[in-house]
Amino acid sequence: MYEYRIEVKDLNTWFGEKHVLKNITCYFEDNSVTAIMGPSGCGKSTLLRSINRLNDLIPGFRLTGQIFFAGSNIYDPDRNVYELRKRIGMVFQRPNPFPMSIRENLTFGPRLHGIKDEDELERIVEDSLRKAALWDEVRDQLDSPAVHLSGGQQQRLCIARALSVDPPVLLMDEPVSALDPISAGKIEDLIVQLKKEYTIILVTHNVQQAFRVSDQAAFLYMGELVEFDKTKRIAVAPEDPRTEAFITGRIG
Amino acid sequence: MVMPTIRETLAAWSRQISERYESLSMRLRRLKDPAHVDLAGRIGLFIPATTAILIIVLILTFLWYESMPILTSDVGGPAIFLEPTWDPNRDLFGIGVFIAGSLVCTGIALGVALPVGIGAAIFLSEFCPSHLRDVLRMIIEMMAAVPSIVYGLWAYTVMVPWIRDSVYPAVSSNPLLAWVPFLQGPTNGYSALAGGLILAIMLLPTVVSVSDDALRSVPRSLREASLALGASESETALKVVLRAALPGVGAAIVLSLGRAVGETMAVLMVTGNSLTIPYSLFDPCYVMTSIITNQLGYAFVFPLWRSALFAVALVLMLMSICFTAIAKVLIWRGTRIGAVV
Repeated sequence: MYEYRIEVKDLNTWFGEKHVLKNITCYFEDNSVTAIMGPSGCGKSTLLRSINRLNDLIPGFRLTGQIFFAGSNIYDPDRNVYELRKRIGMVFQRPNPFPMSIRENLTFGPRLHGIKDEDELERIVEDSLRKAALWDEVRDQLDSPAVHLSGGQQQRLCIARALSVDPPVLLMDEPVSALDPISAGKIEDLIVQLKKEYTIILVTHNVQQAFRVSDQAAFLYMGELVEFDKTKRIAVAPEDPRTEAFITGRIG
Repeated sequence: MVMPTIRETLAAWSRQISERYESLSMRLRRLKDPAHVDLAGRIGLFIPATTAILIIVLILTFLWYESMPILTSDVGGPAIFLEPTWDPNRDLFGIGVFIAGSLVCTGIALGVALPVGIGAAIFLSEFCPSHLRDVLRMIIEMMAAVPSIVYGLWAYTVMVPWIRDSVYPAVSSNPLLAWVPFLQGPTNGYSALAGGLILAIMLLPTVVSVSDDALRSVPRSLREASLALGASESETALKVVLRAALPGVGAAIVLSLGRAVGETMAVLMVTGNSLTIPYSLFDPCYVMTSIITNQLGYAFVFPLWRSALFAVALVLMLMSICFTAIAKVLIWRGTRIGAVV
C-alpha cells in the first residue's frame, strides 16, 4: 500500500552520458505544496518532468528506478502515458498559451479526452477560469486571442488550461520566474488557494518563494537530494551545510 | 614650427571627412527632435518598396494594351473568355477552352501536391529522426533544382505510357470506378491527369520545404503544453503545430498556386494540347501557357490572333493575382485568432 499519491524511489536519470539525477527518493503529500529548490542545472526540472514522463521525448534520455502514482509505477511498459499526463497537469516556466481563443485554449484538453457536450465544455471553461482567478478579467472576451492577454494573465490561463482536464496533481516549473512581481504575487496566492484541492509540486530557484508557499521542501544540489523535510524545519534549521549555503544565498 | 609629415596630413584629412560626414548624419537624426524621423530610411526604402507595385501595374497595363484589339473587335469582345472554340482561321478566338484546361490541371496538381506535401512536412518536422531528416530535406530540395523540361521529358516517356497502359485500364475495368463521369476514356495517355500529376511533382519541393520551415518554427513549448494535457504526438502535430504554422503553410499554398498556373514546358509536353474542354481526367487539354508558347511564333499573321494570345496572358495574370488574394484571405481568416509563425 502506498501512502502518498506520488512516491519517487531510487530515481536515476541520464541525458546521454550525463548522470542528471542520482538516487532520488522522496514523496509528495496530497493537498499540499512541495517545493523543489536548488541552483540552476541541479536537475529540478528533470525531476518534475520525470513525473509526467515529458522527458521520454528527449533523445538520449534514460531512467532507472520507479515513480509511483496512486499506487502504480508510471514507468511500467504498458502504462498509458496519455492518460497519465491527463491526470498530472503541468504549468511551464514561460506562459505558453496556444495561438487560439481563450475558450479554445480551455476546451482543447477536454475535447481531446472525448468531452463533446457544449454545455459541459462551457461549464469547464468557467470553472477552470474561476479556479485560476481569471474569470472576472476575461469573462467578456472568451473568444479573443489568448496571446493578447498580459504575461501574468497568460500564465493564469495556462494554469486554467492545466486544470481543465481535472488532474489531481499539478506540476509547476518555475511558474512565475518570467513574470513581474505583481503578477508573480497573484500566482503565489493562487497556488496557496489551489492546494486545497490539488497536490502541487513547485520547482523554484527562489528560496523566499519556496518558504512562502510550500509545506514541504526538497533541496537538490548537483543531482542529489540533499535535504527533504517540512519547509518550516528547513527554513529554521537546515541540516546540511549546502542547504544552509543555498538558503542564505551563498550558492545558487 | 615643424612641417607635418604626409602621414599626419592624411590623418587630418580623414578626420575632417569623417567629422563632416558625421555631422551630416547627426543633422539628419536631429531633424525632428525629439521624435526624429529617419529620413534616409523612409525615402531610401520607399523606392524599392514601390518598385514591386509599379512593375505589376506596368505589366498589367501592357497586357491590357496589347489585348485591347481583340477585346474591342466585332469578332472578339469580352465574350471570348467564355467561348470554347479556338480557330484563328475562322476568326474564332474562344479562350474559355484554355481557362478550363488550366483550371483542371491546376486543380489536380494542388489536390495531389498539398496533402502529400504538407503530410511530408509534418513527418519531417514532427516524427522524423534528425539525421534522416537532413538527408530527406536535401533530396527534396534537389527536386526543386531539376529543370522543368527534364520533368517534362520524364513524364513524356514514363508517365504518359503508364497512364495509358496501367492507370486507365485499371480504372475502366473496375466496376466501382468505371461509371464515374470524370474518369471516362478512352485515352492515349496525353491527358489532364498527366499534366496535373507532373505539376504536382514539380510543386512538391516548394510545398514541403516551406511548410517544414513553418512547422519547425513553432516553439517547442507549445508542443509540450499539448503533450502535457495528454495529447498524443499526432494530435499535437495536427491540432496545435499545424494550426500555429498555418500562415507559413498558407505561404506554401500561395507559392505553389502561382507556380502551378504559370508552369509551361512540362505541362505542354504531356497534356495532348487538344482544343477541347477536358470533362474527364483522361481527356487531353490545352492550358493557357501552352497556347501562348505554341502559337506566338506565327500569330503575327492576323493582328487579332496575336492580340488574343495577349488576352490569354492577361487572364493568366489576373487568375494568378486572384488565386493569391483568395489564398491570403483564407489564411487570414484561418489565423485571426493569432498564430506564431
